[in-house]
Amino acid sequence: MARFLAQARFIIGALALALVLAVVAPAFAQQPSSVNPTASSVKEEQLLKGLKIISGRGTIPDTKSYNLEQPAGRDWRQFHEVTLRWIGAIAILAMLVILIVFYLVRGQVKLVSGYSGRRIVRFNAFERFVHWMTATCFIILALTGLNITFGKPLLLPLIGEPAFAGWAQWAKYAHNYLSFPFAIGVFCIFLIWIAGNIPNRVDAEWLKRGGGIVGHDHPPAYRFNAGQKMIYWIVVLGGTAVAITGYLLMFPFYVTDIHGMQLAQTVHAIVAVLFVAVMLAHIYIGTIGMEGAFDAMGEGTVDVNWAREHHALWLEQEMARTGPNESQRQPMVTPAE
Amino acid sequence: MKSFVLACVAAIVIASVAGFVLSNVQKPADQAYSTTGVRL
Repeated sequence: MARFLAQARFIIGALALALVLAVVAPAFAQQPSSVNPTASSVKEEQLLKGLKIISGRGTIPDTKSYNLEQPAGRDWRQFHEVTLRWIGAIAILAMLVILIVFYLVRGQVKLVSGYSGRRIVRFNAFERFVHWMTATCFIILALTGLNITFGKPLLLPLIGEPAFAGWAQWAKYAHNYLSFPFAIGVFCIFLIWIAGNIPNRVDAEWLKRGGGIVGHDHPPAYRFNAGQKMIYWIVVLGGTAVAITGYLLMFPFYVTDIHGMQLAQTVHAIVAVLFVAVMLAHIYIGTIGMEGAFDAMGEGTVDVNWAREHHALWLEQEMARTGPNESQRQPMVTPAE
Repeated sequence: MKSFVLACVAAIVIASVAGFVLSNVQKPADQAYSTTGVRL
C-alpha cells in the first residue's frame, strides 16, 4: 500500500511538473533572449539624445570639421523638409482660398458716394518710392525663398535638374542681395509712418464695426486705419525678424554656432511664410478688393470722396490744416484731370 | 509710375553694391572651408 502511494505521488508530481512546464514554456519563448540585436542602436539613440554634438579630433584649422554628428540637425532636417512645407502650404493656400471666397461673397468694396472729381495727396513721392522698393524686393524675396522650400518637390519635376540648378543658383543670389534694399526699405517704412501707426481708441471702434470691409459700414479712421496699422507692424516686426535671422544665415558662424543658425533658419522660414500669407491680403485689399485704393500708392492721390468714406478723420485733419476753401487755397487738393 | 521705376532702379543698384561688397568679403565655400592641404 505504501509503495502504491509513493508511485501515485510520483506520477501526480510528474504530471503537475509537466503541466507547469506546458504553461510556462510559451511565456519563456516570448521573452527576449540574452543577446539583444538592437541594443547597440538603442544606446546610439540615447547617445544622440543626450549629447548636443558628437565630436572627434582633427588636424585642419577648421575645428567645425571635427564634429561627427549633431543630433539636433535631424530635428531641423525634419522641420525644413516636412513641417515647414506643411506650415507654408496651409498658410498661403488658406489665405488664397479665404480671399477668393471673400471676393465672391463680398465683392469689391465700392466707392458709394462716387467720384467727386477732386483729389487729395495721400502719399508723397518719397513714401511711394520707399513702398515700391520694399514691395518689389519682397515679391522677389518671397518667390526665391519659396523656391528654397517648395522648389525641389514642385518645380524640379517640371523643369528638370539642369534648369532648376541654374534658376535656384540665381534665385539664391537674388535672395541674398535684394535683402539689403528690402531691409533699408523696412527701416524707412518704420521711420516715415511710425507717427500714424500708434494704436488708439479709434482703431477699437474701427475693428468693432468691421472696418467697412466685412459689412457695408464706413467707420472713421485717421491716416491709417487699424487694418493698415496691423500691416505696418507686421512689416516692421516681421521684416526686422527675417532680416536679422537672414543675415545670421548669410554670414555663417560669424555670430552664432550651428544651433543658433538652425534656430535662425526656423524663425526665418516660419515668419517668412506667414509674412507672404499676410501680404497676399494686403495686395488684395490694395488692388481688386477696394475701389480707388490702388491710386493712393499708384499715383499718390485719392478722390476726396474716397478719403471721406475710408479715412474721414484724416480728411478732416487735412482740411483743417489747409483751410476750408480747398479748391483754391489747398495745394493738397487738386481737381482731377 | 515714376516712383515705381525709381524704386526698382534703386533696389537693383543697392543689391548690386551689396553683391560686389559681399563677393569681396566672403569666399566661395570651396575656399572658405579648405586649407592648402585640402583639395575639393
